[in-house]
Amino acid sequence: MRDELATLGNGAHALAIQILGNRDDAADAVHDAFAQVLAQPQAWDHRRGPLRPWFLRVVRNRCIDLLRRRRPAGPAVEVLVAPGDAPDAVLETQQRDRGLQRALRDLPPEQRQIVVLRDYSDLSYAEIAAVLDLPAGTVMSRLHRARLALRQRLESEDDD
Amino acid sequence: MTTERGGNPTPHVGDRLSGYLDGELTQQQRQRVQLHLEDCAECRRLLDELSAVRARMGASDLSGLPEDRWRENMDESGVTLARGLGWLLLIGAGVFIGAIAIFHFLADPGLGAGWKLLISAFYLGWLALFVSVLRQRLIERRTDRYKDVEI
Repeated sequence: MRDELATLGNGAHALAIQILGNRDDAADAVHDAFAQVLAQPQAWDHRRGPLRPWFLRVVRNRCIDLLRRRRPAGPAVEVLVAPGDAPDAVLETQQRDRGLQRALRDLPPEQRQIVVLRDYSDLSYAEIAAVLDLPAGTVMSRLHRARLALRQRLESEDDD
Repeated sequence: MTTERGGNPTPHVGDRLSGYLDGELTQQQRQRVQLHLEDCAECRRLLDELSAVRARMGASDLSGLPEDRWRENMDESGVTLARGLGWLLLIGAGVFIGAIAIFHFLADPGLGAGWKLLISAFYLGWLALFVSVLRQRLIERRTDRYKDVEI
């Protein structure tokens, strides 16, 4: 279970960033979720579905708890990593990813989460419905709207 | 061509285009979308664009952290758990041993009541001081706004 959980860290972190809007808080949320799951591994019942959507749901619930507790603060500050001596190809990838992150940030949180779960974490519609607690029938329409909105933002990003 | 909320064009097949892209349609729905795509250049273009969005998302590194970090993270969680268990055992055993020692001390017939009172006052004084300092430290730790500042 530990090995499988370790491979879910980045996907969970990406989801938590979309909810909390801050990398460090998101990493803390994933860390808390790991601690929670490792303390009670029996909470996951493999007969009720795979580990990944269940763990992502634990992470999402933890993020929602943190959001409720979070005191009102100013807008989240994006900490950009200094490129340093990164080679051109890496720099280009980083710039593309930053463009994508800016485009995602402009979407409503519900759209950010659904598009990350499908296109980044590669979850099926049934798994997405389980993570987001949605009726299975609404995933396709919400995802489609999110993709259209993201496409529009990315076009604006690429034009800038 | 129809227009969806928010002004986004959703020509003809609408959200089933995403379902088609993700392989989430029934065979019948897939065949209908395929037939439509053969005749509709606009939907083919939209499918390509949505496919490009999906590919860009899939190729990105939204987390920006190495996967090893999470493995180390879990090891830390194990250490935290073990430490918590250790403290629990230590405190539990300490309270038990303390209770037995107090019982033997009070039940000792060789020691007069005056001495017992004097020794009790000495230890209770130490205990009161310890609890008072511990309480103050805990309050400071909880309310110190600069505790995370590294100098």
